[in-house]
Amino acid sequence: MEHTELVKPESLEDLIQTLHKIFESDRVNVEEVQSIMESYESKPHEWMKYAKFDQYRYTRNLVNEGNGKFNLMILCWGEGHGSSIHDHTDSHCFLKLLQGQLKETLFDWPDRRLQGGMTQKSQRVLLENQCAYINDSIGLHRVENVSHTETAVSLHLYSPPFQTCRTFDQRTGHHNTVRMTFWSKFGERTPYESTVSQENN
Amino acid sequence: MARFPSMDEKGSVLYLSRLHLEDLSLDHLTDSKRQQIQQLHLNYNRFSFFPPSVCFLSNLEYLDISNNALTVIPDDIMRLTNLKTFVAKNNLLNEFSFPKEFERMQIETLNLSGNRFEDIPMQFLKMTTLQSLSLGGNRLKNIPAEIEKLTSLEMLYLGGNLISSIPPEVADLTSLRYLVLCDNRIQSIPPQLNKLHSLLSLSLHNNLLTFLPREILSLVHLQELSLRGNPLVVRFIKDMTYDPPSLMELAGRIVKSQNLPFSSCDLPSNLIHYLNLASECPNPKCAGVYFDSCVRHIKFVDFCGKYRLPLMHYLCSPQCSSPCSSNPQSDAESEEENSVPADRLQRVLLG
Repeated sequence: MEHTELVKPESLEDLIQTLHKIFESDRVNVEEVQSIMESYESKPHEWMKYAKFDQYRYTRNLVNEGNGKFNLMILCWGEGHGSSIHDHTDSHCFLKLLQGQLKETLFDWPDRRLQGGMTQKSQRVLLENQCAYINDSIGLHRVENVSHTETAVSLHLYSPPFQTCRTFDQRTGHHNTVRMTFWSKFGERTPYESTVSQENN
Repeated sequence: MARFPSMDEKGSVLYLSRLHLEDLSLDHLTDSKRQQIQQLHLNYNRFSFFPPSVCFLSNLEYLDISNNALTVIPDDIMRLTNLKTFVAKNNLLNEFSFPKEFERMQIETLNLSGNRFEDIPMQFLKMTTLQSLSLGGNRLKNIPAEIEKLTSLEMLYLGGNLISSIPPEVADLTSLRYLVLCDNRIQSIPPQLNKLHSLLSLSLHNNLLTFLPREILSLVHLQELSLRGNPLVVRFIKDMTYDPPSLMELAGRIVKSQNLPFSSCDLPSNLIHYLNLASECPNPKCAGVYFDSCVRHIKFVDFCGKYRLPLMHYLCSPQCSSPCSSNPQSDAESEEENSVPADRLQRVLLG
């Protein structure tokens, strides 16, 4: 396996090119990807065209399809917007803050025998330019913009790409499979992609 | 160390953010240049007072002076007769900071999140042009009933305050599409909220709700509802505080349910008044009525086949069954509930 030289990406375009190279191989080196993503210093003018906000909920905006090996997207979170507790359908998930802050709450997979619902395992606040990683063996998480004054923008990489995931009711541990949709693709708003997105539960 | 201000090509948008400014002089601009300016960005500076020169930009429509140290908004702001959007997040403003005449401004969007408001000032409540009001992250203890006067309001953001109850007058804001009440101390939702026919998104997460009023089902356009972080009851809990009806109530129930005729010759006026106060039991199969003695019944309703929400309504007696279920036996202990049709509520944000 060829070892990719870890050069700090100078721009978002640079980061995307580097990710394409890294993902040519079938094995994902999590530390390498996390490090590359973290070292890209967010420059709003480079990603502004993808950052389309919705007043009522967070949006998913596709940036790059990674030659089928990964999906790179930008999520825009208004004040108070948060996600459901969800899994990642056996894929790697990298989450980098481009602007603002996001709170990540980790949960274990629900245990049928436990009656009290799902209790959180840990919680942390992700700051600008930090990159977090999660996969199904680590657990489940909820991501929220808890600020009432600032919006947040995050860059997500999922490998392999997936279109559905499971969302969990914290009170009961019951889950639901939902289809994930894009608010925009490659900077263009895509309103007729499918029916109601159910991921934000 | 100030840098030069930057302006867009048309000369209508002036960016003066993050320049360590403590004061602002626009003397070097000609009158016509001043009148060209429609948008002014002064956020992330060091203003401890509102720069007076701003008030002479007569065509200003948009002003953002967030992230400074303002404590007062001067009377001269009234000169900005074209101001439509005023953003002053993260300052030191409170309900005494604004001019008495502020209500005369034709502002449509007012964002004062991250300040020190303990009350919504009277002036704001008279601004009938207001479409969007944000007072998130302040210290508001309640929502005044006068909020109903903001008849153009489409967006009301009050998340992150100390609010413990919602006045039913909020339901008179019939243009409201987005209502944010998350991160407060709210214990109950008034059933009148079902009058908000335009409501598309309701944010209630991180409050003290144990159940919701059944009336919430009639918010047919609602697409987003967040309820996580509330102590919603999971199991049916028998209401222990059912008071058995008085003799007067029992007699009244029989008179009403049997349709016994009565007139002022038969009864003293206070009893006629009492009989007219009868409430019909919501159970369509029950022709019964109740007066004071009713049971608070919590019914679990399945939204879109996904989540079970505890909805509350009153019934005439513990034996009566809920209108939400077609099978009277399925009440009480069982959690086999009927589903609300999926098109009723599409996205429910829960735990």
